Amino acid sequence: MRKSFKTIALAGICGVAAVAAQAADDSQIAMVPGGPHPYFAAWEQAGADAARDFGLAAADYRVPQRWELSQQNQLLESLLSQGYNGFMIFPGDPVGAVSTAEELSENGAQVIAGAGCFKDPSPAAFCLGTDTGNSAYLGTKQLLAAMGDGEKRIAHFTGFLVDPNTQLRIDAVQKAADEAGATVVQVIADIDAPEPAEEKINAYLAAHAGEVDGIITTAWVPAVVAANALRKMGDSGIHMVGIDHDEVVLAAIKDGTIDGTMIQNPYGQGYIGAFALDKLRSGCTIKADAPFGANALTNKFIDSGTSFVDASNVDGYIDAMRAETDRILADFEATYLTCS
Amino acid sequence: MSVKDLSPPSGLTLSAYGAGLSRSRFFLSNEFGLILLIAVFVLVFALTARGFLSPFNLFSLGRNAAVNIMIGLSMMTVIVTGGLNLAVGAIGVSVAMACGWMIEVLGLPWPIAILGGLALGAALGFINGWTVVRTGLHSFIITLATMSIFFGVMIFLTRAEAFRELPDVFSAFGKMKIATYFSPLLLVTLACALALTWLYRFTVTGREMLAAGASPAAAELSGIRVGRVIVLCHMLSGVLAGVAALMLVTRNGAAIPSMAGQLGQDWLLPAFLGPVLGGTLLAGGKVSVLGTVLGAFLVTLLSSGLLMLQVGAFWVQTFLGLMLLTAVLLDKARRSYLARRNLA
Amino acid sequence: MMQISRLSRTDWFGPLLAILIAVTLIQSFSSTFLSAFNIQILLLAIAVNALVAYSQMIIIAIGQMNLSVGAIGGLAAISFAGAMEVWGLPAPLAAIFALVVGTVCGMVNGILIRITGISAFVITLATLSIYKGINLGITEAQPFYGIPDSVKAFGSALLIGPIPWLVVPTLMTTLALWVMLRRLPIGRFILAVGSNDHAAALSGISVGVTVVAAHAISGLLAAMAGVLIVARLQIGQPSIGDDWLILSFAAPVIGGAVLAGGHVSTMATLLGVVIVAIITQALVLFSIDPFLVQVVLGAMILAAVGLNRLRSRQPLKGGIQNG
Repeated sequence: MRKSFKTIALAGICGVAAVAAQAADDSQIAMVPGGPHPYFAAWEQAGADAARDFGLAAADYRVPQRWELSQQNQLLESLLSQGYNGFMIFPGDPVGAVSTAEELSENGAQVIAGAGCFKDPSPAAFCLGTDTGNSAYLGTKQLLAAMGDGEKRIAHFTGFLVDPNTQLRIDAVQKAADEAGATVVQVIADIDAPEPAEEKINAYLAAHAGEVDGIITTAWVPAVVAANALRKMGDSGIHMVGIDHDEVVLAAIKDGTIDGTMIQNPYGQGYIGAFALDKLRSGCTIKADAPFGANALTNKFIDSGTSFVDASNVDGYIDAMRAETDRILADFEATYLTCS
Repeated sequence: MSVKDLSPPSGLTLSAYGAGLSRSRFFLSNEFGLILLIAVFVLVFALTARGFLSPFNLFSLGRNAAVNIMIGLSMMTVIVTGGLNLAVGAIGVSVAMACGWMIEVLGLPWPIAILGGLALGAALGFINGWTVVRTGLHSFIITLATMSIFFGVMIFLTRAEAFRELPDVFSAFGKMKIATYFSPLLLVTLACALALTWLYRFTVTGREMLAAGASPAAAELSGIRVGRVIVLCHMLSGVLAGVAALMLVTRNGAAIPSMAGQLGQDWLLPAFLGPVLGGTLLAGGKVSVLGTVLGAFLVTLLSSGLLMLQVGAFWVQTFLGLMLLTAVLLDKARRSYLARRNLA
Repeated sequence: MMQISRLSRTDWFGPLLAILIAVTLIQSFSSTFLSAFNIQILLLAIAVNALVAYSQMIIIAIGQMNLSVGAIGGLAAISFAGAMEVWGLPAPLAAIFALVVGTVCGMVNGILIRITGISAFVITLATLSIYKGINLGITEAQPFYGIPDSVKAFGSALLIGPIPWLVVPTLMTTLALWVMLRRLPIGRFILAVGSNDHAAALSGISVGVTVVAAHAISGLLAAMAGVLIVARLQIGQPSIGDDWLILSFAAPVIGGAVLAGGHVSTMATLLGVVIVAIITQALVLFSIDPFLVQVVLGAMILAAVGLNRLRSRQPLKGGIQNG
C-alpha cells in the first residue's frame, strides 16, 4: 500500500531525473520527523511531489522507529553516510538535536527545521513551521468566544514534552486565558500517542468533567481522543477546539460535537522545504535582511500558515491550505534567498 | 536453566590447561566467534551499503558502540552473581538528570556534578542490592519494581523536563574526533572494560563475585560474605549505568528524561545482548569482559549496517532478536560439544 | 475467628478487602468516583488489563516468565487491524486470525524453551524483539486506521448501565481460566509443573507438552488483549503492548502468585487488576501528579511480593509449601 506508493514515486523520480534541468541534480533530500506520527504523513507525499516538480534526485521521508532522540540521531547519521545532502528535520528535542544537526552541517549537508524549531544557535538555515504559539493563542480565543459568558475553566491537552512546540503552546494558551480572565485548570502533556492519550484524557474527564467548561487541544492525537470522548459523554456542555485535520476531528466539527480546529500546513512545509533545500544546495544563500519572524526558540522563522476551521468552512480547508502553500512558494526565492 | 560451567572462573576464557588444548580452545571460544562475525559483517556491509566505510559512519558507529558496550557492562556485573538488573535504564537516566540538576539548579561545577551523579548511581544500585539480599527475593522482581520506582520518582522530581543549559564541554566532548575515526567515548569505555577485567582476574573482590555467582552456598561456606558481594555488584552496575547515561548526555548536549525510553526499558535489549552474546552465563559464575565488548560492538554494527541498507530500517529489531536467539543456541551447542570433548 | 483466619489465607481476601476500603475512602472524598462515566472508564481499562495479567499469570504458574506478552499483544493488534484494512476481512475472521497469530507466537516461545533448555527469560527476551520487530517491519510504525464501525462500536458501546460490552470477553475468559486451573487436567498439570517439574514428570505428566500449552494459552490471552484494545482505541497502533511489562507482573503478584510457580489465583489476579485501576484513577481524581503512578505500581509490586513471601513462610494446612 504505502510501499507501492513509494515505489511508484521513486520510479517517477528516476524517470524524471534523467530529464531534470537546472536543479542541482544530486540533491538528495531527507525529511525526518521526530518519530512516527500522523501529522507528518503529508511530508511523504509532499516530498514525492517536490522531487518530481523540481527534478530532485530524491526527497525521501524517513521516520525514526520511536519518538526518541537517539533513534533520530542514529537515523540522521546513517542518512548522511548514505549520501543524503539536504535535511529537513523536526528536532527530537530543541536543544538535544542541535549536536547532530551541527555534525550534518559540518559534513557539507544543508539543514532546515520543519514544523518544529531548533533552539538558536543552530546550523539550520531557517525554521519553516506553524507559528504554534500564535495558533494556540488564536485557538484558545476561538474557544473562549464559543464558550460565551459565564465561568471559563479550560483544560489543555498537548503533545510530547520533547516537542519544541509544546512549551510554546502551553505559554500561549495561558496568555490567551489570562487576557480573557479565564483559568487553565489543567494541562496534560506528553500524550501525543493513542494509548496514553486515551487513558489520561478519559480518566481526567471521568474525574473532573463537571469542573471544566472548555477543552483546547494542541496536538493531533489528543484532539482525536478528546473529540471521541466528548461524543461518548454526550451532552456535556463542554466546548472544544482541536488541531489538525484528522477525519475524526473534522467529523466532530460537522456534527457539532466540537466547535472547530486549528489547521496547520504539513504538506506545504514538506513541499516548500524540499524546494528551499534544493535551492540552498545550488548555491543560493539566505539574505542577511530576510524578513524572518521570531518565536521563543529561533529568530529565523518562516510561518507556514494556520487558520481556524469550523462548521462553516470545514469542507474547503484543503484548498485553503494549498492556496497558502502556493502563496508562500511564489515569492519565497525573492523574499528569502540570494541566488547568483 | 543453563548448564553451570565447570571451568574455573576467569576474566577471559583462556584455558588453564595445557597450551596445545588452549589454542584449539581459543578458536572454539566465544570471543573468536564474535571476532569472526564482526569481520564477516563489516565485509558484507562494506560491499552492500553505500557509505558504510566512510569516516563519519565509522566514527558514529564507534560512538554508538561505546554507549552500548557500557550498558552491556553494567548488566554484566550483575549477571556475574546470577542476578538481573532490569533497572539499568532507570538508574542511568536518574544519574543523568541528577547531574543536570546539580549543574543547572545547584550551580555546581561539572566535574563535581558528574561525581555526584555517579554517587547517586551507586546509591540506587545499593538499594537494589540491599533489597535483594535482605528479602531473599529474586533480583528480577526486585529490579522490575525499582525500575518503576526510580523512574517514577525521577520523572516526578524533574516534571519530565529536560535540562538543556549544560556547559558546552559536554557536547564538545561528544563531537570530538580523535584521528578522524575515534570518539573519546570509546576511550572511556575501554578504560572501564580494562578496569573490569583487572577486577575479575586480579582482585580478591572480583574472585569473590565469581565464586558467589557460581555457587552461593559454597562461597558462603568458604568464608565469602555473599550478601556484601551482591550489594557491591549492584552498586557497580549502578555506577556503570550512570557512566553510560552521561555518555549519552555528551552525545546530545542535553539531559533528556526519555533518553532510555519509558521506564528505561529501551536499554534492556542492548544490556542483555552484549553479555549474553559475549558468553557471560545468566546462571552466574563466569564472565567475559572481552566477550561483552565484542558482543555489544557486533550488535551496534548490525544495527548500523541494517539501517544503511534501504531494506533494513524497520527490521533491525527482528534481526537483533534472531541474533540473540542464534547466539544462545550456538553457545549452548558449543559448550555441550566442548563438554563432550573434554570427557572423551 | 477461625473463619476470618481461614479467609485471610486465601489469595483473594486481602485484595478484596483493600478494594472495599479504597472505594469507600475515595467515594467519601469525592462523589464522582462512583459516577456512571467513571465506572465505565474503569471497566474499559480493567477489561484489557485483566487479559494482560492473565497472560503472564499462566506463565508464572509454570514457574517461568514471559517478557514477550506486550510484543505478542502488539503483533496481534496490528494483525487484527491489518487483516481488516488491507485484506478486507470481516471483523470476526480478522479477530480469529489475530488470535491464531498470538497462539502461534506463544507456542514458538514454549517450543524454543523446551527444545533448547535455555531459560525462559532469555528466550522471551529474544522473541520479544523478534515479534516487535515483525510488527514494526510490517507497519513501519504507521497505525492502521481502517477499523470498521462495528468494531469501534464494540469497543465503546454499553451493555447495561455503565457496563461496556468490552468486559464480556474478559469475564468469559476469567471464568474459563478459573475452571481450567481448578477442574481441568491441563490446569492441574500446569500448576504441578510449576511447583515441582521433576515430581510432575515422575508422576507421568508430560512436562514438555504442558509448557508449550501454557505458553500457547499465554499467547492467546495476550492476543485477545491486543484485539480488545484495538476496539477500544479505534486504531491499530503498532506501539500497543510497549508498556505492558510492569502491569503484567503487578496484578498476578498482588493477587498472591508465587514467582517460583505452582500457585496462582485467577480471581485474586482479577482483583489485583481492579486495585491497580482504582489507584490509578484515584491519583487522577485527587489531581496527584500522574507521574507518581509508576512509583505506586513499583511499590505495590514490592509490597505484594514481600507479603506473599511472608505468607508462604507460615505453615498452611494442606497447602503447598513454596519457599
